[in-house]
Amino acid sequence: MVEFPGKKDLLTAENFSVFYGSNEAVRRVSLDIPEGLVTSIIGPSGCGKSTFLRAVNRMNDLIPRCRAEGALRLDGQDLYEQGVDVVMLRKTVGMVFQKPNPFPKSIFDNISFGPRIHGLRDRSKLAAVVEKSLRQAALWDEVKDRLGDNALGLSGGQQQRLCIARAIAVKPKILLMDEPASALDPASTSRIEDLIAELRGKYTILIVTHNMQQAARVSDLTAFFYEGNLIEFDETSRIFTKPREKRTEDYITGRFG
Amino acid sequence: MAEHENIKQTANIGSRLLMGARERRLRLIGSRIGHTVLIAIASSSLVALLFIFYFIIRDAVPFFRAEGFREFFLSTGWYPSRENPEFGALAIFLGSALVTLGAVAFSVPVGVMASLCLSDILPFSIRQVVKPVIEMLAAIPSVVYGFFALIVFAPALQQKGGSILAAGAMIVLVPLAAIAVIVAGDLICNYIAKKNDRAVRAAVTAGLALSAVFILYRIYGVIDGLRIESGTNALNASVILGIMALPTIVSVSEDALNSAGRELREGSYALGATRAETLVKVVMPAAKSGIVAAVILGVMRAIGETMVVWMASGNAARIPSPWFNLLEPVRTLTATIAGDMGEADHVTGSARYHVLFAMAASLLAIAFISNLISEIMVRKSRKGA
Amino acid sequence: MEIGTRKILDRSFSSVGMFAIVLMAVSLVILLQPVIIRGFGAFAFRGTVEFREMMLDRFGRGDENGIRKETAEAELARRPVYELVEVFESELMDADPDFKTKYRSEFRDLKVRLEELLGPRVRDSDKALPRKCYGQTRWDRAGKKLHDVLYIESYDYSDPSKMGTRIFSPRADYFKGTSLEPLFDILERDIEGMMKPRPTLYWRFFFDESIDSHFFGGIWPEMLGTFYLSLGAMLFAIPFGIITAIYLAEYSGTGRFVSLLRTCISSLAGVPSIVFGLFGLAFFINTVHVSDSKSVLAGSLTLALLILPTIIRASEEAIIAVPRGYKEASMSVGASKWHTIIAVILPAAMPGILTSMIISLGRAAGETAPIIFTAAVSVGKPLGLLQVFNQPTPALPWNIYNLATEHEAVDEIRHIQYGMVFTLVLMVLMLNLAAILIRARITKRLRG
Repeated sequence: MVEFPGKKDLLTAENFSVFYGSNEAVRRVSLDIPEGLVTSIIGPSGCGKSTFLRAVNRMNDLIPRCRAEGALRLDGQDLYEQGVDVVMLRKTVGMVFQKPNPFPKSIFDNISFGPRIHGLRDRSKLAAVVEKSLRQAALWDEVKDRLGDNALGLSGGQQQRLCIARAIAVKPKILLMDEPASALDPASTSRIEDLIAELRGKYTILIVTHNMQQAARVSDLTAFFYEGNLIEFDETSRIFTKPREKRTEDYITGRFG
Repeated sequence: MAEHENIKQTANIGSRLLMGARERRLRLIGSRIGHTVLIAIASSSLVALLFIFYFIIRDAVPFFRAEGFREFFLSTGWYPSRENPEFGALAIFLGSALVTLGAVAFSVPVGVMASLCLSDILPFSIRQVVKPVIEMLAAIPSVVYGFFALIVFAPALQQKGGSILAAGAMIVLVPLAAIAVIVAGDLICNYIAKKNDRAVRAAVTAGLALSAVFILYRIYGVIDGLRIESGTNALNASVILGIMALPTIVSVSEDALNSAGRELREGSYALGATRAETLVKVVMPAAKSGIVAAVILGVMRAIGETMVVWMASGNAARIPSPWFNLLEPVRTLTATIAGDMGEADHVTGSARYHVLFAMAASLLAIAFISNLISEIMVRKSRKGA
Repeated sequence: MEIGTRKILDRSFSSVGMFAIVLMAVSLVILLQPVIIRGFGAFAFRGTVEFREMMLDRFGRGDENGIRKETAEAELARRPVYELVEVFESELMDADPDFKTKYRSEFRDLKVRLEELLGPRVRDSDKALPRKCYGQTRWDRAGKKLHDVLYIESYDYSDPSKMGTRIFSPRADYFKGTSLEPLFDILERDIEGMMKPRPTLYWRFFFDESIDSHFFGGIWPEMLGTFYLSLGAMLFAIPFGIITAIYLAEYSGTGRFVSLLRTCISSLAGVPSIVFGLFGLAFFINTVHVSDSKSVLAGSLTLALLILPTIIRASEEAIIAVPRGYKEASMSVGASKWHTIIAVILPAAMPGILTSMIISLGRAAGETAPIIFTAAVSVGKPLGLLQVFNQPTPALPWNIYNLATEHEAVDEIRHIQYGMVFTLVLMVLMLNLAAILIRARITKRLRG
């Protein structure tokens, strides 16, 4: 394991497993994710990387017969302890999904949905939050004149940036991104990647990706998952140049995956 | 910068995630209450069904206690308003059965063929037109069907019943006969001559066709000569009920056919089967339980229907002779309940009142059992798909 | 089998399928055609002077002077008829017994028929039955009545193996040689002058109360009753239906209880409608006593049970069809489950739920059997909003049955029956059309 001087570990997994029924999708994973950096998780389909990601904000709770074992701690607090406020957790850990999923409402309503349910009613404050989030998501200039339009009218790339804006509108500490660019065209993908680079430092970002070049471009750290196991976790540059494990090397050189 | 504050604040997020014991308890209680209320409301249909069973049976029991089962189920003497009333409902049960059978005989072949056509034969654009037609047939209230049966169809049957029937029979029989001639001709030719001889084939087919035409002509003559004494009879009710049951049969069996899957069809086409062969030999067997469910639902619609049979069946509580004679008036369970309650209501508590509940209980039992069977069938067809 | 034969069979199979579809379409046309054409005749027809006089007397509508003038003109045209009748009547008084026995009863019959056609000569609106105060208000009915005046109907039973055949013999032949003989020619020639038919659009048919059990007037009480009953049913069924659908789609999982619940819902959908009616009588009226006897409330409750399964199923389908992404997105910004359902899932499912509601509304409006014992009466005034709790009401479906089978003059008011059927069918089909349009918009929107 590597240490990052000056960065404290925000998210810690310790022998963490996730089961779908009797199928163990994530197997006794242990890793520490430091604060403020971009960490990518790579691996072939079905390796458990998305499951791990969804475990962080407990989105897996929505799936029947899904349970977790071991410990997954956010700032020292076990997320699966009884009494954890899932609503609070999800406010702290934002998520962006594979397919852009804006609500069939106006752009403004999409962004203000989160702040509103957390009790912000004041119209001018909401407007301020919406503007700030859209600016952070580099979408403000494109949509500022049509905040009342239906969000489904935006292009795919714009929709995905809208979803990022929606996620950061509730001021999360961690942003989870589940293959955020896989459904987009190359141009939109590169804008999303630029956006991730811009958000680096402001949020702790965890990104699952299929695309190894993307992982190499955007992340500080990379974790390689295979068949539910964490094979290797290291600085990105090291993973892509001198991986310690044979399987990591095979994967990133394209021998399987 | 605000963003840097964002990072600096992480110091105590861990502790903020945990709820206090009090809040936890409150939330738990809240969600328990919410869930209980939700289940209570969601159970309304369960409660409604139980109540229906309870209240119908509660008012049916006094009848069976007073009159016993024997007369009700085995006698045909239905004289509820006499000095010494008789409550033999056998003829009424048979009336319901006869009308339903007639409806099914009409609507099942048409419905299943139509659903095959909708799922596999018609192009998408035409399907978009046909669907609303079916929905309209389903949407028209039963009393409108009944009105049509009584005011338009019954007089037509009474005046030119024979010709209408004969035309109807020909519409059905001519295509069937044509197909039969083709198949039989083919089989005979293959049997008598291994080599494919055109002359033999033509001769055999022509002979068969001639005899078919002769037979059809005789049939036409017989039916055309029929006289219908009363336009309100079992046939009238059956035809109208059959049309009413069509939408149910079509939509349920179309669902079943669609869920049989493309792969199955492609497998059969890839072996060189024609569309008809694919449908009959591969798709229909695969969708069998769904089609059976469709038929059962159609039957239930026919048995449970009130207004059409009340208005169109003639309401005579006797067994037609012979028992399958659709041209005679009959009386059904639903029509008896609807018609007699008006008079029996004044004598609440009498056998005359309770016998109607006994009929309703019988209907309920029939509907419940057939529904269970169709449910099992639908589940089976989903599992198979 | 020969490949050629197989192809022919395949083709004939397809044609049989097409035939089935065509048969359905044709049945729909055959069913709707008389309903639409004759239903139209309920409010667009040739009205006679009697119609205008009736409208003036009973509803105070029309230009009084014009109508009085028209009546006078018609009266003038009718005078020869009345004079001939008077002359013959006095002849009959003084005639010899043979003459009397021959003509007395036929003459009485003729006078009755004449009065049915033209109305009583002396208008006395205090008569007990409004139908006795006027002649034929519709030109088509007048034609039939004229036929009754001109011909004597009898049955020929000479062939005992057959039913009697109807014969019409001219009444003029019967009265040949009497002073009454010219009457029939005059009638036939001048009937238009006597009745003054004129194209009439009686759109108030939908909003008028009926007069003298539907001899005259419109169908407003029935329409209002149908509105009350079906809207009341929706009022009860919608909350229960939607909440049950939410439970089934979002909370339930796949336990035993849920499968029991689903079986119950489908069984409830399979219960014959007449059984609902009996249950409504036995439970809502005789046990719970929501009202002393039939009432709109009891009928609405019964109908609500009937449409509950439809609403549950269609709403559940609409909720399940909401993309999972919406739910995940909402949860991921920290919305609670309940909040997600209220703020995201229900709005997205709303068009689908609305469709189900509209179709159920049509179903509730058209059902007859459940309201026979719980809500419907044959004749009644339009109800006020507060009367729905304890008053029964006429309703379109029940009155269609009632007027077509139990009314004392079924044949005389055919047009009213068709008008009611037309209205009911129009209501239901419009609702279904709305549902189809909404559904088309949903699919369009989902496609982007």
